[in-house]
Amino acid sequence: MKKDWKRKIVGWLCLSSIAFVFQACYGTPQDFGNDLLIEGLVKSKKTGFPIKGIKVSVGDKMQYTLTDENGQFSFYTARMNNTQIYIEDIDSTENSLFINKDTLITIKDSIFNTKLPKVYLNIELEPK
Amino acid sequence: MNKLLKQALFREFKKNETKLHELNYLFWECTTRCNLNCRHCGSDCSKDSQYKDMPLDHFLKALDTINNSSDNFTVVITGGEPLLRKDIELCGREIRKRGMRWSLVSNGYLYDEQKHISLLNAGLGALTLSLDGLTDSHNWLRNNDNSFKRVDKAIGLAVSTSRLNFDVVTCVNNRNFYELEEVRKYLIQKGVKAWRLFTIVPIGRAKVDAEMFLTDSRFKKLMDFINESRKRNEIDIKFSCEGYVGKYEFKVRDSGFFCRAGINIGSILIDGSISACPNIDRTFAQGNIYKDNFFNIWQTKYILFRDRSWTKTGQCADCKQYKDCQGNGFHYWHSQKKNVLVCHHQKIKYE
Repeated sequence: MKKDWKRKIVGWLCLSSIAFVFQACYGTPQDFGNDLLIEGLVKSKKTGFPIKGIKVSVGDKMQYTLTDENGQFSFYTARMNNTQIYIEDIDSTENSLFINKDTLITIKDSIFNTKLPKVYLNIELEPK
Repeated sequence: MNKLLKQALFREFKKNETKLHELNYLFWECTTRCNLNCRHCGSDCSKDSQYKDMPLDHFLKALDTINNSSDNFTVVITGGEPLLRKDIELCGREIRKRGMRWSLVSNGYLYDEQKHISLLNAGLGALTLSLDGLTDSHNWLRNNDNSFKRVDKAIGLAVSTSRLNFDVVTCVNNRNFYELEEVRKYLIQKGVKAWRLFTIVPIGRAKVDAEMFLTDSRFKKLMDFINESRKRNEIDIKFSCEGYVGKYEFKVRDSGFFCRAGINIGSILIDGSISACPNIDRTFAQGNIYKDNFFNIWQTKYILFRDRSWTKTGQCADCKQYKDCQGNGFHYWHSQKKNVLVCHHQKIKYE
């Protein structure tokens, strides 16, 4: 602990916080870990069965994933207190037809204070 | 703050960091296969590598020896070209699942929209792409006519995502030297926030090609270019951490020169060797994950990296800058330890 204080004081005095942010010659910039793991399950509200091939996207919809055969999805996205999630049935009639849904998730600060912030969503879709 | 005082404090800081040697940055050379055949490649990578890609579970076994990794610990996946691995997303997810962060160094050739999304989904947090000039000079160095077009697209994707801490690196050589200003404009126009410039190390394929290496006069002009560009504040431009640059210290980078190889930076190389930056002479390896506990090696070995007094030899023996330079970048030393391969300070001093 004592060493850590010395480290911070000298580092800040000579350079400010950049003393602790570095990149190796042929490496990348450091990742500050500002992400959130969003996991979940999409199922039919009518039957309770998981739905495969549902598109789950965030923000401007550029980042997306599809549910697997168990209706599960998982992806990392930028850390924000409020994240808009879009759930869309894009495979037409393959798994019958469902009404698209979007939802705003609000993340508590306490979740962001963990080493690996994550949320789990249970999503039910209404059949068309 | 007075420069001398700043340098003295920085020396203390480096001493303390060396003593603590906290592992913050771990390179994983996951493949030595490459889809390009760059003229300057320090690894002599090729399409047909003599090594098979390291299986993910072998790497994870070594990674799992790290107990209590530091908060900012990052695995930097490098190669070869890491995007040639079909399981790259799985590799990233397994690292992130352990609460560790991961990033990627790529030539950008295979970085299309689909790959961009799948890597983000897997928790990619930082990315470095190589751009070595405008169309002709980039394609020349990369030995591929489509290379610029591909990396241009990759850069566009990378800048579109605020989640990624992203930068572009450029290996400065005699072909692209006079177009650096144009490259700077191009990057600003693309929305790139950070740009790092290197010179080329005389190892691998590069060592026999004179066109790769800047004269002392050009090297000094490069320092002036970086210094002047930093004052404009249009892009976060910096010289890489490859060497000590005397009067340009604290002017061409955010901080002074500090080679952190073996101090904060470790690596697991393609054959399981445990070392520091991948461009360091492989005879300096400290162990091998196939017979040693990785973290135990990190904590107990690396003596040559943490006590650089052995570098006070050859042209470094009587150098007045030694206390700030300490033998330049570790990758400029061969196993014979007789003399440093390149002295950046000398390039500036006599110009």
